[in-house]
Amino acid sequence: MAEINTFEKEAEEMTAMHVITKNDKFERTGGGFVDLTYNGVKYERVKVVRLFPFTDADKYISIRENTDKAKEIGIIEDLEAFDEETKEILREQLRLNYFTPVIQKIMSIKDEYGYAYFHVMTDKGECNFAINMASNAVTKLSDSRLIIMDLDENRFEIRDVNALTQKERRKLDLFL
Amino acid sequence: MKDNKLSKNILKMLSEKKIEEKDILSVCPIDLSFEGEYILGYVFLTDTNLGVLKSDVPEGYKHFFRGTKVHKKIEEEDLAEYEVTLFELSKMKHLHTERLIGAVLLTAEYEGKPLKIASLTNTYLEQLNLFVRHTKNIMNGKPFDYEIVGNEAEEEDEESLYCPICGTMYPDPAKKVCPKCTNKRTIFARVLKYFFKYKFSIAILFLSYGLGAAISVVWPYLSGKVLFDHVLERDNEFLASFGVSGKYVLALLILAVVMIGSRLLAELTNTVQMALMARVATSTVKDIKSDVFSAMSKLSLNFFTSKQTGGLMTRVLNDSNRVTEFFIDGIPSIFVQGLTIIITFVVMYRLNWQMALIACILLPLLVFMTVKLRPGLWNLSGKRHRAEKAVSGKANDNLTGARVVKAFGQEDAEIERFINPNNNLKEAEINIVKLRNRFTILYSLVQEVSSIWIWIIGVFFVLKTDKIDLGVLLTFVGYVSQLNGPMNFFSRVFRMWSESINAAQRLFEIIDSIPEIREKEDPVRLMKPRGEIELNNVTFGYTVSRNVLKGINLKVKEGEVLGIVGRSGAGKSTLVNLISRLYDVKEGSIKIDGVDVKDLSLSDLRKNVAMVSQDTYIFMGSVAKNIAYGNENATGDEIIRAAKLAGAHDFISKMPDGYDTIIGASGKDLSGGERQRISIARAILANPKILILDEATASVDTETEKAIQNSLKLLVKGRTTLSIAHRLSTLRDTDRLIVIDNGRIVEEGTIDELDKKEDGIFHKLNELQNKSLAGGSF
Repeated sequence: MAEINTFEKEAEEMTAMHVITKNDKFERTGGGFVDLTYNGVKYERVKVVRLFPFTDADKYISIRENTDKAKEIGIIEDLEAFDEETKEILREQLRLNYFTPVIQKIMSIKDEYGYAYFHVMTDKGECNFAINMASNAVTKLSDSRLIIMDLDENRFEIRDVNALTQKERRKLDLFL
Repeated sequence: MKDNKLSKNILKMLSEKKIEEKDILSVCPIDLSFEGEYILGYVFLTDTNLGVLKSDVPEGYKHFFRGTKVHKKIEEEDLAEYEVTLFELSKMKHLHTERLIGAVLLTAEYEGKPLKIASLTNTYLEQLNLFVRHTKNIMNGKPFDYEIVGNEAEEEDEESLYCPICGTMYPDPAKKVCPKCTNKRTIFARVLKYFFKYKFSIAILFLSYGLGAAISVVWPYLSGKVLFDHVLERDNEFLASFGVSGKYVLALLILAVVMIGSRLLAELTNTVQMALMARVATSTVKDIKSDVFSAMSKLSLNFFTSKQTGGLMTRVLNDSNRVTEFFIDGIPSIFVQGLTIIITFVVMYRLNWQMALIACILLPLLVFMTVKLRPGLWNLSGKRHRAEKAVSGKANDNLTGARVVKAFGQEDAEIERFINPNNNLKEAEINIVKLRNRFTILYSLVQEVSSIWIWIIGVFFVLKTDKIDLGVLLTFVGYVSQLNGPMNFFSRVFRMWSESINAAQRLFEIIDSIPEIREKEDPVRLMKPRGEIELNNVTFGYTVSRNVLKGINLKVKEGEVLGIVGRSGAGKSTLVNLISRLYDVKEGSIKIDGVDVKDLSLSDLRKNVAMVSQDTYIFMGSVAKNIAYGNENATGDEIIRAAKLAGAHDFISKMPDGYDTIIGASGKDLSGGERQRISIARAILANPKILILDEATASVDTETEKAIQNSLKLLVKGRTTLSIAHRLSTLRDTDRLIVIDNGRIVEEGTIDELDKKEDGIFHKLNELQNKSLAGGSF
């Protein structure tokens, strides 16, 4: 009977939702990682994962163990509820994890025999990349928001198509 | 992307730290800081150290990603100041590449603490993997392995990665096609080749077009100048040359007969043209379709999973029609209409050069307009194609998912969602029509104006001067209106051209794409297979950023029955997909009878490895045909035996049409269990040396499962069998079990051995299943 209880516990554990609040402590490590102390247990170099990376980047952040299984320790419901330092600690990790230059200006897009060559200005600098037209390299998140993946699956984002000039939009016409 | 050489400047800097060029064993560029900004940098390896070089990106630096870099013969001198960090390999452990969403991270344990070493974009991932392998070798005290270098694609001759014409890097190094240099003209030439097969028909087609053109040129001359100026004016001199001087009625009669004859001839050529066109067009469409389909079938599974099937269908069905439209209707017409225009002008010029000049004064305008409006059409037809693809993709999506849509009562919402792409398609169509109309209107305007223009000037000439006769004027008017057709045609032809080449480009993309799974030249035949399987350090992932299998080592003996257990998503199905080579491993190797599957002949491999998987597919056709799929010569006796072994015979014989019952897309609906049994029968009939059962009995009831189990017992004799199952009772008769968790083999042994490990996954699963069965049976 005792064994059945352990199984039930495990099943319960799988379905339970743990919430990480501002009372739980995040710490930077010397090697550039983050440790979390949750319910008195210290988890080393935890993984920080966005559950809604596009629609709600700062809400519902899953904190997971650094193991192959990446078991979830808990969920942060809203990053804004945390103090500045913790926010910065977590954002540091997120910035690298979700590194995605945002396209601000389109210099040119050339459609050539199955590939499209982009020359753009992003918030991280001027970039030239190519995409495969046959694969689904351009994902439309909404009518005005695009994620573009180059041949190596590097991501680029266009936050708002309507913020571009008419001329730039016309270059992008192929994908809208 | 071979930037794995350090510049002179860096080497000079490193020599101050007592590191010389010869000490550096391997280099990999890096391009991100831990804060998520682009940087310039490298990681490099020496016998004792791992070094990291980092420098800020200079102002106005341009980043080039795969496929965009232009090869420069002389590299610009890199003068940036690099910050150097050295790590001692002796203090380093667990070097690891971690794939993040938008970046790659190289981590390790240094002096017992976790450490981020470097981060980079996916651009250099391949090179980093190579670098890590080298580093691990050195860390393990092995000498530098030059062999690894030789095997990697990116270490190939650097020159061969760039297009020799424009110097741009090939987007796909395996294909060596430069998109920038593949211009529209080469596509055109390639389509033309399809028509060469029908040389004879096309020659006749051109001939009849030529004849038609000649008649249309002669017609105004007969009905204008000859009728009015020669016959009605009683021009004896002219009539004498035909021997009918003075016999005006006879002359009129002859003229009438000639005119009727030429009309008849015109109609005849028209009929011939239509018949030939229909034949050549449909044949070519058929040829192109078959080519595309056969190219598509050879592509690996990856290609189909990464694209919407609806989009692919548009390609095969619509695009091939579009291609031929221009070639069949367009090209001969260009030839004929062009000829008509030229001859018409020559004749007009000969009749009266002043009038001819007046008639064609507006022509340059047309040429100008055409040149200006053409590029727009190219883009618009590409856009329409994408819209079409979205619509058919959406429709396809919905029809295949009809069951779910109805079950959740989402019909209205789906209709709503369909409206959007459908609207886009409408817009795209409208835009094309708009532009086309602009062409047509402008063309006809020029047309009308010239026609009126000719009347006015002509009448003026006839009245005021004696320079031209009424017949000549009428001939001229006839010619000008004759130009109507060709002019209209030329307004359409550019649209046809751009649509056709656009479609051809898309088709050739498929025909040209190289299957990821390729048979080696001169492959090893598997004549007498034993069925031994060996996996060495196999690593695989469907995307760059996530590995599903990690360093799997496994040996399956001849005739062994191996059970594979694990949670869903652990990588079980992926493992067996790799063995039948539906995908190729990323690292490591898979050997069957000691031969790498990559070296084996694909048909031999597929013949000897049969799979019954969790998603069964029933093709349209009879039950017997479905069981004999891939084994056409099977006799009725063999089919029935296979069906019996699979426990399918009973329900098949109960169907009114027995083994001839048509099942599949439009036929009789089968239950999940019935489908599964048919696919088991299919595998049994194939009589493979290696049998893979991927949840083969998951959707049949317990009784049927027992029956199948029994027949499987017979079936697995003399075969190597891999059986995946969630229901552990299914695996009772296996010789050995492996447990896969998170892409690794975590437990291995017989059922009894595994069940004894009290903290093991298998033990836990077994307990859980027994308990829940026991709990359910009070």
